[in-house]
Amino acid sequence: MRKFTALGVLLAAFAAGPSYAQQGPSDPQIAHIVVTANQVDIDAGKLAEKSASSKEVRDFGKQMVTDHTSVNKSATELVTKLKVKPEANETSASLKKGGDENVAKLKKLKGKEFDKAYVDNEVSYHQAVLDAVDKTLIPSAKNEELKALLVKVRPAFVQHLEHAKMLQGQLAK
Amino acid sequence: MSALRSLLVLVALAGPMTASAATHVVTMEGMKFEPATLRVKTGDQVVWRNKDLVPHTATAAGKFDSGQVGAGKSWSWKAAARGQHDYVCTYHPGMKGSVVVE
Ligand SMILES: [Cu+2]
Repeated sequence: MRKFTALGVLLAAFAAGPSYAQQGPSDPQIAHIVVTANQVDIDAGKLAEKSASSKEVRDFGKQMVTDHTSVNKSATELVTKLKVKPEANETSASLKKGGDENVAKLKKLKGKEFDKAYVDNEVSYHQAVLDAVDKTLIPSAKNEELKALLVKVRPAFVQHLEHAKMLQGQLAK
Repeated sequence: MSALRSLLVLVALAGPMTASAATHVVTMEGMKFEPATLRVKTGDQVVWRNKDLVPHTATAAGKFDSGQVGAGKSWSWKAAARGQHDYVCTYHPGMKGSVVVE
């Protein structure tokens, strides 16, 4: 009981509404976060396919478009089957905002500068998405199939992160 | 576990019907080929089944190439030439496998 109270105080200190922070996102919100997160990386990947100066980075961009499009197709099919209506929320809005800002920034860059900025963002983006999947989305998902989809997609995101880190190392040379 | 069970069922079903040729399943799951090394006999059928949510390939340069195998899709290949055929997923080069045709 004492522990619970201490946690409550801590949450109240950091979040505007303690109940929101404790509950985490609902399944309709998780669905919206998943689709938005994938779309953000598809948008950046499409730009990299066109604008990156090195073949490795263009190929990586193409891979992100292919993989995240495929994940979104599966997510959309599941959500349709479950009759879950994706619901916009703070997390998906901030993901979208961050993605739009990234694309706007990348559009002003050329050559190696573009490659570096794109790859740096891909590293931090995939790290952030994995953190969200592990700490918020999987623990919060109520529907077992939705949870299973998140578990299933995780290895692809890990591989993308490793690939992006490898490119980051090459570009630093 | 369920992948293993379905593989066993498949092998059990294929067993009695085909005394000479067998069918083997390699799953593409969690960004890995399972089993990573598969031993088959000439004339056997190998089926790659993609259980991931992203497309993969099974590509052994000059030997076989599945092309894109989408999420939930399969591709099969008949083992002809003897030897060890190392292959990769051309999309995710971290994914490596080997088919040994005996
Ligand atoms: Cu692959």
